[in-house]
Amino acid sequence: MTDLLLAPGFFSSGPVRTALLVGGGAAVVSGVVGVFTVIRGQTFAGHALADVSSAGGSLAFLLGVNPMLGFLGMAGIAAAGMEAVGVRRLRGRDLATGVVFGAGLALAALFLYLATTTTSTTGAAITVMFGSMFAIPAATGRLAAVVGLVALAGVAAMYRPLLLASVHEDLAAARGVPVGAAGLMYSLVLALAVALSAITIGAILSTALLVGPSAVALRVTRRPGQAMLVAVLVALAATWLGILLAYDSFVWTPGHGWPVSFFIVTLIMAAYLLAPRRA
Amino acid sequence: MRALAAAAMTGLLLAACGGAGVPGSPVQPAAGVIRAVGAESQYANVISQIGGRYVAVTAVESNPNTDPHSFEASPSVAQALAGAQLVVVNGLGYDSWANRLLSATPAKGRTVIDAQTLLGLPDSTPNPHLWYAPKTMPAVARQVAADLAALQPSHAAYFQANLAKFDAALKPWTDALAAFRARYGGTPVAVTEPVGDYMLQAAGCDIATPFSFQAAVMNGTDPSPQDLTLQQSLLKGRRVKVFLYNQQVTSPLTQSLLTLAAEAGIPVVGVYETMPSGYTYQAWMLAEVRALQQAVASGKSTTKL
Repeated sequence: MTDLLLAPGFFSSGPVRTALLVGGGAAVVSGVVGVFTVIRGQTFAGHALADVSSAGGSLAFLLGVNPMLGFLGMAGIAAAGMEAVGVRRLRGRDLATGVVFGAGLALAALFLYLATTTTSTTGAAITVMFGSMFAIPAATGRLAAVVGLVALAGVAAMYRPLLLASVHEDLAAARGVPVGAAGLMYSLVLALAVALSAITIGAILSTALLVGPSAVALRVTRRPGQAMLVAVLVALAATWLGILLAYDSFVWTPGHGWPVSFFIVTLIMAAYLLAPRRA
Repeated sequence: MRALAAAAMTGLLLAACGGAGVPGSPVQPAAGVIRAVGAESQYANVISQIGGRYVAVTAVESNPNTDPHSFEASPSVAQALAGAQLVVVNGLGYDSWANRLLSATPAKGRTVIDAQTLLGLPDSTPNPHLWYAPKTMPAVARQVAADLAALQPSHAAYFQANLAKFDAALKPWTDALAAFRARYGGTPVAVTEPVGDYMLQAAGCDIATPFSFQAAVMNGTDPSPQDLTLQQSLLKGRRVKVFLYNQQVTSPLTQSLLTLAAEAGIPVVGVYETMPSGYTYQAWMLAEVRALQQAVASGKSTTKL
């Protein structure tokens, strides 16, 4: 019975340890950055960024380089592009965003097709779209740690201006807050957060980790600092519990583990439905 | 691009084997020559060896750089299949594109040999890489000889003689397998996927990698962490003597296993989804067993044949 809840070898497994570390890092960064995303009302743009980044992950498979570099590169380009166009002006312009992320996925489809038909690669589609948390190579883990620390440092350095510009851009500008710099910083940390969650739960599902825990947190509290703490805790709990359940699922259906991203996203969904609302 | 590459590979392959053949569909075979298609290059090679000068063979899958499991047929492949009088497929869902194309272009008088059906294997057979099993090709070759004789009864004796030659040519391979089994039977080995499993079983090896792991890599899904942990410990702890690696199906995961094997000093032997160029079927199989033997006996890697 205990095997069903904690299958043997969980804590001694190398792949599990890597997943806990990299997944935990992605959860922390997504929780912090996601609060800004939700406050700014840019969930859809965040999702578009993730979809465009999938083209980078697919290209990395085609070229045979570290997928994390692909996600990072494409998310960075997309974020800079969105900032150049002025994503604030895009707010509410679902159509333009929708077309752009469609194009990103189309590129991903092309690269994945070429990767599977002209080079010797396997599992690229599943890894790019839905993540392969238990198969993260050590080199990717180290790169992810650096990316996570850079993202958190970026947020810490610009915390006040970033928050003011996110809550009320015009007011912030009137008060002399460097709104442009804050916007650029937000876009860049968003790109880092998306790339991190793309290698863990996949590009398609990374939005769930980005905005889900933050949406839960902003239901519980309106104070941004508290919301970030709650979002990080929810994201961490969902990720680590999801990893445990995915590990256990090998015992439920012998020989077939269930995908870890399924558990994480389902847990986030459950937390959203069950979250107490502010009075 | 894929079709071009396949056509080019077919040309190389047939030139290398000295068999009669047409690379791609545009070249029309001479009158009285049977048009045949092998879904994978190893089957095409066997047809070519049995049919000799009376058969023009096209191999559909022969690109050593791609994974046949994710092959998508192009219009030129459809054309080659539609015009073929004899087709050999592997079955077990390995080349299901061929079955779809064949049923889409019904042709009178076309004979299809399905290795799975020939061997009487149920659809639930987990490992589709039948050509590594010693009993597969003799059965396929016998059926090819019979079907060619039915198409050209006047050359039946010629096909029969080629069949005898082919069977005799397989003997060094089966002898090598028996010798390996006698000397190194029970040797523990790790694999990335089940490509060479039938050969390993015939050689008496103990495949330590769980089949669920092999299936996950073969099907491009995520292996479970339990299986991956076990696989890593097999390599790290030097609990296996050889690591069989499929060059046609790689991912960051399989590459990281390759690195682990190198760090632990475990020799690697490459296995193939389609016949590597420059080989006949029997020479390829013999080379695989020799590579396995070298790995076990002297720790020497043969990543590419």
